Amino acid sequence: MKYAFILKAVLHSISHRKFSVFTSIFAISAAFAFLAATGCISFGLASTAVNSSLAFPLIVGPAGASDTTLVMSTLFNTDKPAGTLDYEFAEKLEKDERVSAVFPIARSDSYMGIPITGVESAYINEISRGFSEIGEDIEAHDIFSENGRKCAVIGAKTAARYEMKVGGTFFGSHGSVGDEDSELHDFEYIVCAVMKAVNGPEDFAIFTNLKSVWEIHRHGHHHHHEEAEEDEEDGDHHEAAEMHCVHDMCVDIGNKHHAERKITAVLVKTKNPVFTAALEREYSENGFTSATDTGRTVRKLLTYMNKAEKAAGFFSYGTLFLVMIMVFVTILTSISERKREMALMRTLGIGKLPVSLMIFLELLFISVFGTAVGTLGGHALLAFCKPAIDFELGINLEPFFFTGIEIRGAAYTLLTGVTLSLAAMVKIYRMNLVEEIAKD
Amino acid sequence: MAPFERISVKNLTKSFENADGGKKTIFNNVTFELNPGAVLRLSGASGSGKTTFMNVMSGLIKPDSGSVFFGDTDITSLSEGGKDRFRAENIGYIFQTFNLLAPFSVIENVYAPLAFAGKLPKNYKDKALESLNKVGMKEFAAKKPYHLSVGQKQRVAAARVLFADPPLVFADEPTASLDRNSSELVKNTLLELNRKGTTLVLSSHDPIFDDVKPDIDFDLETGVLS
Repeated sequence: MKYAFILKAVLHSISHRKFSVFTSIFAISAAFAFLAATGCISFGLASTAVNSSLAFPLIVGPAGASDTTLVMSTLFNTDKPAGTLDYEFAEKLEKDERVSAVFPIARSDSYMGIPITGVESAYINEISRGFSEIGEDIEAHDIFSENGRKCAVIGAKTAARYEMKVGGTFFGSHGSVGDEDSELHDFEYIVCAVMKAVNGPEDFAIFTNLKSVWEIHRHGHHHHHEEAEEDEEDGDHHEAAEMHCVHDMCVDIGNKHHAERKITAVLVKTKNPVFTAALEREYSENGFTSATDTGRTVRKLLTYMNKAEKAAGFFSYGTLFLVMIMVFVTILTSISERKREMALMRTLGIGKLPVSLMIFLELLFISVFGTAVGTLGGHALLAFCKPAIDFELGINLEPFFFTGIEIRGAAYTLLTGVTLSLAAMVKIYRMNLVEEIAKD
Repeated sequence: MAPFERISVKNLTKSFENADGGKKTIFNNVTFELNPGAVLRLSGASGSGKTTFMNVMSGLIKPDSGSVFFGDTDITSLSEGGKDRFRAENIGYIFQTFNLLAPFSVIENVYAPLAFAGKLPKNYKDKALESLNKVGMKEFAAKKPYHLSVGQKQRVAAARVLFADPPLVFADEPTASLDRNSSELVKNTLLELNRKGTTLVLSSHDPIFDDVKPDIDFDLETGVLS
């Protein structure tokens, strides 16, 4: 009964000081929400990167492309390709005995800021886990068989966000995302299928037939060529020829046939890691292409990400510590303000221990409740923002995944909370409240 | 409540340090005895040490020397916990101001001291309501102290004393800044308790208490006991 009443008194006291308690809990919660977001987003990025690196051990791209650009522009769809290379390189790789499969890709237009990537049916077969919707006349295992159509396969989350349905059409803006020189000729695409979610960057992508990409660019090419001929008639041949080179796909205007078969990268499955290393070396040194071992590049990226996560964690811990100090100072100030109240309690025969225990429990409540609310609230907020975060970062966020950094943060906060609570309790216990009030 | 045993104050001395480092004696070598149901009146100007004397007598402040016996128990020699328990079970207080604990409701303020001591009687809520009813505060039982006027707070403090029914009550300017009705109510509560055998230690400048004849009058200003 006695301890039940002490607990009741603590709750009364907390309720009586709603504002300062709410402010303290809010401050701890905000720091924790940040910690939860840091952990979950880092984990989402890392797991997406690792999964993708396991799928395609080698990426071959145009000469001069950095390892990071090759990975980011292909697996994550977030970077602009460094240029183009001839489709013949994909054919050559396919014939290589060390290679088990190749997947040429060509970044083409974009729709609502999402890059449209030209691929072959084999790539869709490789990455998809089936289709949530597919056109009646479309063969699931050879989705791009009809070369003449601008068939588009939509990632699950892109389809959900833009309400894209099979049979629907949309216009792609000509030019890659982030390509400031892109032209604004619109090309119409028809939605042939919507993929089931694969929990990877592919969910946020739009794929089309590689041959359609070449066809689109050949049309664009002819269009420019006609303009160039008109300019030539005006006696401005050199300037007109430059105008043909407005897009990566049109880089080789002097050779129309080559321009029709340009790609931005080849994703390669090798038979074993030794072959990956050998092929990487060969395709990096030939002067026409560059290549990267996806696993190694992703490991490098993860190392950087880990450092960033650690730095974010460090600042989060720092913030948490400052918050706890702030809470402690707030409580000490309130103790000073509450001296009379506590002195009255002592006068009425309420012992030193119950009075100081009340302060201890109040502080402990703030620490524990702040940590709990912050952790759960932070994750709930992440769950609420998941669609936007997923779309912006191209990851599959697990909003209720608890990272080590967060668990450590919770442990440190609780430990600090208990220590500060004990310190406050000891301070109250050692005070002769009645004499202090008498002196005042 | 069983009448409290005799209170013996023996050679009680208390002094404070001045701001200039000197010593100011509040009271020196005070000795007297109080029988159960007696009234001790403390008089003297403000700042003469009446509250300090009450605090020393109730064990809240240590004396420089001397002792206070409640029967065979010397409160000055008890541990802090022992003093707390003793106060909770044997002493009631009514102060001039700041009588109630702000986070608690009116009824909780009435039974809080015994609840913290783990000494709540059966039907304590009914008894607390009965005490509040006696001082006309039953309808405010669920209110928080900040809803009450100064007079109402004093009445709740009186109800707290009625509820605990202690052998000894300290009343430190209990009617200061109260209207006539509230003053009468507080005074009547104290006298009712005293009639039932409660020893009363009273400090008041209010003429309303002029008709209360003390067994001992202790003038803190002069140090004279009469």
